Amino acid sequence: MGRPGAVIEVDRNTPPTLFHHGEGVRLERLPLGSRIVYAPDPMEPVAHPERAIRRALGHPLEDDPLRSLLRSGMKLTVAFDDLSLPLPPMAQPDVRQLVLEEVVEMAAEAGVEDVHLVAANSLHRRMTEDEIRHIVGDRIFSTFYPDQLYNHDAEDPEGNILIGRTSHGEEVTLSRRAIESDLVIYVNLTFVPMDGGHKSLATGLGSYRSVRAHHTAETLLNSRSYMHPPDSALHQSCIRQGQLIEDTVRCFHIETSVNNHSFPAVANFMQKRETDWTPADQASFLAIKQLTDLAPPGVKRAVFHSMRAPYGLTSVQAGQVDAVHDSTLDTVRRQMLVEVEGQTDIVTMGIPYVGPYNVNAILNPVLVVCMGLGYLFNLYRGKPVLRQGGVLIMAHPCRYEFDSVQHPSYIDFYDEVLADTRDPVDIEKKYEQCFAEDPWYRQLYRKSNAYHGVHPFYAWYWAAHALQHVGDVIVVGGQRAAVHHLGFKCASTLEDALEMAEQTVGRYPSITHLRLPPLFLADVK
Amino acid sequence: MLALQYHRSIPAYALVRATGGHPSVATSDLSMLDLGDVPEPRPPGPGWMRVRPSVSGICGSDTAAITGHASLYLDPLTSYPFVPGHEIVGQLDDGTRVVVEPALGCRVRGLTPPCRHCAEGRIGLCENVTEGAVAVGLQTGYCASTGGGWGEVLVAHQSQLHAVPDRLPDEAAVLLEPFACCVHAALRGGASQGDVVVVQGAGTIGLLTVAAVRLFTPPRRLVVVAKYPFQREQAKRLGGDLIVGPDEVFQRVRFATQARRLDGLDRPLLLGGADVTFECTGSARGLNDAVRFTRSGGRLVVVGMPGEEKVDWGPIWQRELNVTGAYAYGTEMTGERTFDLAIAAAPDLALDNLTGPLFRLGDYRDAITYALQAGRLNAVKVAFDLRDLRA
Amino acid sequence: MKFELLSDIRAVRDGWRWGGIRPASWPEAGPAVPARASNLDWARQEPVRTLRWLIQRGLSAPFARAVTSLRVEGAEWLRDQKRPAILAANHVSHADTVVLLAALPDRAREQTVVGAAADYWYQRPMLGRLVGLWLNTFPFARTGGAQAVLHSSSQLLKSGWNLLIYAEGTRSIDGRLGKFLPGVGHLANETRSPVVPVHVQGTHRVMPKGRRYFLPAPVEVRFGKPLEARNGEGSRAFAQRVEDAVRALGDGSADREVMGTWIDRWRAAAPRTSRR
Repeated sequence: MGRPGAVIEVDRNTPPTLFHHGEGVRLERLPLGSRIVYAPDPMEPVAHPERAIRRALGHPLEDDPLRSLLRSGMKLTVAFDDLSLPLPPMAQPDVRQLVLEEVVEMAAEAGVEDVHLVAANSLHRRMTEDEIRHIVGDRIFSTFYPDQLYNHDAEDPEGNILIGRTSHGEEVTLSRRAIESDLVIYVNLTFVPMDGGHKSLATGLGSYRSVRAHHTAETLLNSRSYMHPPDSALHQSCIRQGQLIEDTVRCFHIETSVNNHSFPAVANFMQKRETDWTPADQASFLAIKQLTDLAPPGVKRAVFHSMRAPYGLTSVQAGQVDAVHDSTLDTVRRQMLVEVEGQTDIVTMGIPYVGPYNVNAILNPVLVVCMGLGYLFNLYRGKPVLRQGGVLIMAHPCRYEFDSVQHPSYIDFYDEVLADTRDPVDIEKKYEQCFAEDPWYRQLYRKSNAYHGVHPFYAWYWAAHALQHVGDVIVVGGQRAAVHHLGFKCASTLEDALEMAEQTVGRYPSITHLRLPPLFLADVK
Repeated sequence: MLALQYHRSIPAYALVRATGGHPSVATSDLSMLDLGDVPEPRPPGPGWMRVRPSVSGICGSDTAAITGHASLYLDPLTSYPFVPGHEIVGQLDDGTRVVVEPALGCRVRGLTPPCRHCAEGRIGLCENVTEGAVAVGLQTGYCASTGGGWGEVLVAHQSQLHAVPDRLPDEAAVLLEPFACCVHAALRGGASQGDVVVVQGAGTIGLLTVAAVRLFTPPRRLVVVAKYPFQREQAKRLGGDLIVGPDEVFQRVRFATQARRLDGLDRPLLLGGADVTFECTGSARGLNDAVRFTRSGGRLVVVGMPGEEKVDWGPIWQRELNVTGAYAYGTEMTGERTFDLAIAAAPDLALDNLTGPLFRLGDYRDAITYALQAGRLNAVKVAFDLRDLRA
Repeated sequence: MKFELLSDIRAVRDGWRWGGIRPASWPEAGPAVPARASNLDWARQEPVRTLRWLIQRGLSAPFARAVTSLRVEGAEWLRDQKRPAILAANHVSHADTVVLLAALPDRAREQTVVGAAADYWYQRPMLGRLVGLWLNTFPFARTGGAQAVLHSSSQLLKSGWNLLIYAEGTRSIDGRLGKFLPGVGHLANETRSPVVPVHVQGTHRVMPKGRRYFLPAPVEVRFGKPLEARNGEGSRAFAQRVEDAVRALGDGSADREVMGTWIDRWRAAAPRTSRR
């Protein structure tokens, strides 16, 4: 095990700090006395993943060995997490490929003929063939695609069945195939503490009817934060839905966790702390900075999105979902937790080029908000790193650019909805239904590779807690018109941004820089 | 009297067309225009009166004729040389402020019985424009006998004259003629309360159509396609719900009508779309876009004067579009005259905001150049100010 | 965007104190990234991959074909692979690898990793890096540690790489085929990959054991029909079957078990109708 996470104070000897700037990198000098929070070093991966997986399947937690649950003539459905995680995408072989191959091997030995492998993508977009192949591997792909290996279609009127309501009146739907199966196996990768557990099946194989029960502005305002399930209203709702699912279908969950070795060797400087940069890292940084300054956007995008992360499997457990998920979360927290003393007035962060919703596409302005004020802001336990009313400074080019194939409803959300109002509660009341029922978005979700019509709303609600908490948001290096359209302030350099922030938080503020990715969970005391 | 005259000259026309209608050539001494001293027009009979124009507008049809872009169809319907200018607010000899309704129909020409169109009140479509007391011409401003707005004096039949109310200044009254055209177009469009209406183009005709549609046939949603920032402001003020740029028209109309969008090699098309579209640019691009975002079975009203434009008729045929022209004014189906409707509605619209710089007749070259680039220069209606010619 | 190279270099130079000593206030350096066994990483990532593609496609493959007047039979078996395969070849000289890679179809070559003896090639780090770059090798321990080798090989196969291994374990002295090590069988059973028998003939005249330079001489490479382990077949038995197949290829036999029926070969050589 390497070093734990650290909080360093900037002094005169500290080298400049790396900021991600969308598809680019920058070096910035933070003022003296600022804190920089670093993630823990990546954990040592398991030496023999296949053996660990076989052991987990043979000795599950609070359930029977998988082999005993498989018999000839049964109907088996295996669901797995889609490509919204891990980020950046994992180098082959993906851990899900390793798990799926073991599961399929067992199914083959038991003589199970009727097997379907379903990507549990919920209201996310359908994955392309290459993307599915990247997750499941060549062997499974060539054997099962396309009749027995496919994406879940949440808008199929025949394929999604209402199974009931929870004690709080939340509707629960599940795919028809899952309900009719004798056993549903879920292969999960818990990348951040938000993933996994009951949320896997409740949202993954759900539909708009079930997802809208907890993907509301209200629920997300009360999730402080959704990266720490005990404090999250979102997860409480998912647990209720999941329990109803457990009562309806026989489930077997397999959960894996990976370390945070997020960048390939050529981009080691993004993984390492600045004080550890070797001359090779420095040269690498200079080369990549020139490339991203001079290359056209298409080239940059292709280069960045082709990066594959050499994650290592850190744990795998199988069996009953609650027991399994507690164990998984222990490992994930061990990898991710960093202790941070107290909140600050200003938090700075560089927004990376990829988030869960734009793999192989552009991070459009709405997704910049989702990443910065959503995911990255909420990576805390206890209290946010930023104090109430503080200023959040994000670095991203924030251009008016949208991927018309993956994000058609995002364009209309930006042009029509944000031009009217930015308050999540208002937006939900006035516009959500119209987008959710638009027949064209539905068609693109089902036939093309587009996110569901209602998805941009969820991206915006994800930031609801932050929007209420922060006093101001300043985007460094962003396109002025787009940043203003989002309701934020724009600055050309970090120094200007810090000066603008003083208007809100007063002179001599305390500053913390969150040096991510690699991701970490701030445990704020 | 001092007047700007348009002469019929084939070599001049050829020269102007060869240069693509460049303003410096089209208003030069080698063009069809000539500013000089010409004999005053004489009233051709009883019931005709002299009018001294105060403010005369420069219309898109005028600039099209000057730059050689007008359709050759109109040539036989015109008598030369004529004094252009049909958007006229002026004074009678006794000082009354009037606005001129330029159409020269059977009544004006003194012909009885009137042709079938004049009998219905559609004087713009008169079939007897070659007969009667005055020479050939659809309107004052295209007729050799009557004179026109770009001169000191013109003659008009009393049926052409409407009193201008006091609270309507000259700069607003000069827009009454185009406003009447747009009121007529709006009524021909006949949009109902549940319809989505698109007004394509936000020049004079576009903006006045927006106002007319909002007042007379208010729809569920009024989308305006405007290129320039000043136009966008005015469109919003005059009653547009959603103002979009020409590049985003398909995306925004798709969203407003919840249609489906298919992308073609050259242009997209919508399955579904607007119920009524008013095409106010008269350009090939505008027409080609409009036939693709108006829903099948919908109505396309061509308001802005087009020339000989290349339009793909495939969509018109397949979508069974009702394409209809809207020209001029007269008496509407309700029995009221279009001009009366326009005059009644005008004072509340603050139309003088739209009247851009006023030029003296001697500066006609600058005036016409400005009018040709009005949008880019943040202007809408450019006009001649002839008040100082009255001694 | 802007051209800021000079100011960037200045920033990095000042920030990391080139030519100076490490400041005491910097926290202790750590390994930061787990040191993995170097058989998977750098040689199979960009930009090394692109560089190798340039070298092989542009330089070494055409050169090898010219020097050896290369004749290839059976390349259609590897033209449209659905899954990565193990290429089990006989080993006669150091020239074998270059020649075999030149014989492969382009797409298969770009996805092929070569198992090179760790104790021979990787003793000297520069040599190890050179062959890693040029031929896409990875260290294959000939002695001890069989489990680790098996594991890294299976990881490569699972990541979509074809694996070229010399199953005899060493170069033949007299040109005759030696006994195949059972590792091939274990690997095939573990990953259920097909095994393609490969026979290369004539390289013992190009660069025999002992001579350090090469001379032109004709070479023939034959690929056989991919073999799959039968149900319940043990690793040793399977390895024996592969050895027999390679020997049969070397003898020039037209045995349908080895070369496939003409129908199989006909179909394998069919023009592509769509992407896989």
